[in-house]
Amino acid sequence: MLRPWLLRTTGGARPRIWFHNPQLRLFTPWKATRLPLLPTPQQARQTSSVVHNETIVPLRKQLKEEAKISRAQKRRGDGKAAQTDGWELTVGIEIHAQLNAESKLFSKAPTSINDVPNSNVALFDLAFPGSQPQFQIATLLPALRAAIALHCEIQPVSRFDRKHYFYHDQPAGYQLTQYYEPFAKNGHVDLYDYDGIVPEDGKKVRVEIRQVQLEQDTAKSQEYPPSSQLLDFNRVSHPLIEIITMPQIHSPTTAAVCVKKIQAILQSAGAVTTGMELGGLRADVNVSVRRRNEVPGLYQYHGMTGLGQRTEIKNLSSIKAIEDAIIAEKARQITVLENGGTVEGETRGWTIGSIDTYKLRGKEGEVDYRYMPDPDLGPLIIDDALISTIGKQLPALPDELVDLLVGPKYCLSIEDAKPLIELDDGARLEYYWDVVDVLNCLHPVTDEGPRISAGKIAGNWVLHELGGLLTKADLPWDSQRVPAQALAEIIDQLWQKHITGPTAKLVLAMVFEGDRRPIKQLLEDENLFLQPLSREEYIVLAREAMAKNPQMVLQIRESKQLRKLGWFVGQMMRMGEKGRIEAQRAEEILKEIILDHSG
Amino acid sequence: MSLLREAERCLANQKAYSSLNAFITPLQHSGLWWECLRDADHRRETGKSRSLLDGRLIAIKDNICTKSLPTTCASGILHGFFSPFNATVVETLENAGAVVAGKTNLDEFGMGSHSTYSRSGPVKNSRWDRDEPLSAGGSSGGSAVAVATNQCYAALGTDTGGSVRLPAAYTGTVGFKPSYGRISRWGVVAYANSLDTVGILGRKTSVIRNVFDILNQHDDRDPTSLSPRSRSRIASYFASPSLSSRLASRPLRVGVPIEYNIAELAPSVRHVWLNALAHLEEQGHTIHPVSLPATKLALPAYYVLAPAEASSNLAKYDGVRYGTRAEGNDSGDGPDGYLYAKTRGQGFGAEVKRRILLGAFSLSAGAMDNYFIQAQKVRHLVQADFDAVFDAQNPLLPASSSQEGRKKTSTVDVLIAPTAPSMPPRLSLLMDKTNSLLSLDAYLNDVFTVPASLAGLPAVSIPVCGTGAISGQRESDIEVSEVDPVGLQIIGQFGDDELVLKVGEMLENNKLH
Repeated sequence: MLRPWLLRTTGGARPRIWFHNPQLRLFTPWKATRLPLLPTPQQARQTSSVVHNETIVPLRKQLKEEAKISRAQKRRGDGKAAQTDGWELTVGIEIHAQLNAESKLFSKAPTSINDVPNSNVALFDLAFPGSQPQFQIATLLPALRAAIALHCEIQPVSRFDRKHYFYHDQPAGYQLTQYYEPFAKNGHVDLYDYDGIVPEDGKKVRVEIRQVQLEQDTAKSQEYPPSSQLLDFNRVSHPLIEIITMPQIHSPTTAAVCVKKIQAILQSAGAVTTGMELGGLRADVNVSVRRRNEVPGLYQYHGMTGLGQRTEIKNLSSIKAIEDAIIAEKARQITVLENGGTVEGETRGWTIGSIDTYKLRGKEGEVDYRYMPDPDLGPLIIDDALISTIGKQLPALPDELVDLLVGPKYCLSIEDAKPLIELDDGARLEYYWDVVDVLNCLHPVTDEGPRISAGKIAGNWVLHELGGLLTKADLPWDSQRVPAQALAEIIDQLWQKHITGPTAKLVLAMVFEGDRRPIKQLLEDENLFLQPLSREEYIVLAREAMAKNPQMVLQIRESKQLRKLGWFVGQMMRMGEKGRIEAQRAEEILKEIILDHSG
Repeated sequence: MSLLREAERCLANQKAYSSLNAFITPLQHSGLWWECLRDADHRRETGKSRSLLDGRLIAIKDNICTKSLPTTCASGILHGFFSPFNATVVETLENAGAVVAGKTNLDEFGMGSHSTYSRSGPVKNSRWDRDEPLSAGGSSGGSAVAVATNQCYAALGTDTGGSVRLPAAYTGTVGFKPSYGRISRWGVVAYANSLDTVGILGRKTSVIRNVFDILNQHDDRDPTSLSPRSRSRIASYFASPSLSSRLASRPLRVGVPIEYNIAELAPSVRHVWLNALAHLEEQGHTIHPVSLPATKLALPAYYVLAPAEASSNLAKYDGVRYGTRAEGNDSGDGPDGYLYAKTRGQGFGAEVKRRILLGAFSLSAGAMDNYFIQAQKVRHLVQADFDAVFDAQNPLLPASSSQEGRKKTSTVDVLIAPTAPSMPPRLSLLMDKTNSLLSLDAYLNDVFTVPASLAGLPAVSIPVCGTGAISGQRESDIEVSEVDPVGLQIIGQFGDDELVLKVGEMLENNKLH
């Protein structure tokens, strides 16, 4: 929806997508604490529910920095770790996720990630006087998929509220959200040992989800030194969901696992498009500590009683940051309490690369959002039939997938099943299904045997062989690099013993490098088909190898060191014509000659 | 008279009465309108008129968006602002052949009762040719004066708590606020969305009806617009024999809300009210006193709810994307700096600031429960009061809440009450800056109009003249001759707009005695 008038620079409606704002600093904690009541840019940045640190740190760089910090933490943290014994940590999480929707929440303008700035903006998105919201029903579908996947109770009636604060990425001066009556409540997510929770949590923890609400995203702003901000309203009103968990998590790692798992669930439900790496998902965590085996704490949150005073850490943009920030905040609170101080209920921040959380604003600086029901928007009424239809159409969720993959149908190990599900936002798994499907077509199953190996062998090739090539080449996942059909054909040729294992790897590498010949033609052109050696040829080859290493032969014969046969197999492979020696047959022949002699 | 001639006469009046300040942007002498009217005349001659409004000049309140003329809302913050789109009502009128007669003056963003809080200066009401101008009422005072002085055929206003009806009463014109959701609000700059209603001002009820018939339709772009399904349900409900017989084959049951007979009511107003009731009785209709106990709470509830919504709606004016912006840095840097404080401080007038503060307070965490929530409850009580006295059901309520158990004998078809408790005050009195109670006094003017707004009911203010002796003392500061029309208000059940207009027609132009 390109609005030509947006680009025009004359007339009263001239849009100004820049404005003076000298020295707008990101994350300057000392400053924010001095200002009462009204949000300054810095404060507002922290208070918007999805606040975006616009400079996206490349993942590689981020990982490097995080590794550095974790080393630093280890160096100084040893003493602290001992200190935390006797303290119980309690964490609750709020996750904001961009929904996989074609339009904005309240206008027909399309959603977009990388379009020309301000090209997808409707009148309401810019809060033009006289414009009104039009709820886009289709945006409800991914939200419902998310809520159902999180086992929530969908509310038949929910409403939209206005959350007020001034900031230039918020054109209306308020965000439309669901504060009083959210559309989904009382869900849960189960975390298992194989998800990576800490041993103290046992085999499984259930984290309850208090509510899921629909809300608008904000505009993207970019600093333009020295004194301007560039605003891109494409993102304004992109539909989001906010997921609020109960404070039921007691370890930083489990908190990180929880976010990771929710992200995987959202992705497999088709509710979101991008993950944390691309800014599609952000989290706030609230953290409190209390002494074990003592009188319960005085505070209660969402009906959880006996907790300590909590603080909130806003705007964490990676799984690692969540874990690190909680570790740091836990240590800080314990230090405060052990030194006889009290933890203040405040909002804190965390920057990648730091080792401590920092204060953003205290209670006195808390913004009053003045929540008000939106008078233009009617209640959102969700029909039971819609909920059950969506429930039925929902693809398998991560836990169900794990069960399926490790089950008798695919026979994968848990170690292979997990990465297959998690890698590349589910794209790797999609690819895996495709390979298995093609394999089953190429090689119709008559009994259970071959199919079981189809799942397992495909898993091995998709994860390890193809994955290895990607790692070596340092390339991101691309399902078209080696089409599923090609990989399946390679596996099938191997399976049928038309080629050897090394040949299969060689062919995979060729396709990976861009060879687009059909597999059969490639094998023919390159003369890679296995031309089985006759028994006589094997014997000749075996004798040749034995003649070169008579001592080894003796050793095998005398002390029955059968393991050393393998070494001879290797020799034969090397000596023989490339791709023609089958290891198994070579070993049979060797065994026969060497051992028969002795007998 | 040709349409073109009529328009030229209006234009001449716009010039002649320019000192009344009815328009912020009047019709320009040169412009497309001339050709539009010539074409309309041609269509009329050939019997191909697009509608009854084809070729009529209609003035638009300046808080309704027009692409061709600025839309300022009488605010500094939108000084010279051109909306990139036409409001649905403007589009609909133009499609019907009507021509925009200019943009009329108002209280900034619709907040006021005398059309004095305008960046373009106060509207003046020269009614009865007094030496001194009177209040035009507000906030649609410009539209009312433009109609009263023949500067247009009809005018659109907006009515949030009486902003069409009060100016109509003060200027001797007809002002109609339809049921909430009848006329699209897309392109109407929001003051308090849950109350804002586009209203129509005209010299006669028949004119109002012509305009209403064109505008009374569903609009997808306004989420509060009545859906086609609701419309047909409402239409068939009021077409049922027991309701369609009203006026047609059976006399009306006219309700008189006793709570409206307040001590502060001007004797002249009470006199006309009583005469009108007597007149209706003479015609065979029956008069029934009814009680609306929540009436006293309605005004305070309104002045909590409307400012609350206003404080939210006006948060968008930050000077970043449109509108005016204070010079220099407005980022709120420095120890005393608040983001946008300079832009908003300079852009808004005193009354708007007052209501933003009121609203921000009543929505704040500490006050929400005591003010906003309580006021919402009062709003429900006001609604329930009306539902209890009307014979017709509120078609918005589920049919299950049937009124079987109610004594039908005690219910009425319409309510008749004054539009305002007094005649228009002198402008000089209002502009007196030393009078600190002024804005509170002004709020009191809305005491009779606010209840219908809170309930979303259709209401029309009709100028009714009263003759004969007035008992009691006349207030010294209001000099009213016995022939001066007084605004009487007819209120009907939700969706009963047609009956309200019919009763209005019965009262207008009747010399009552």
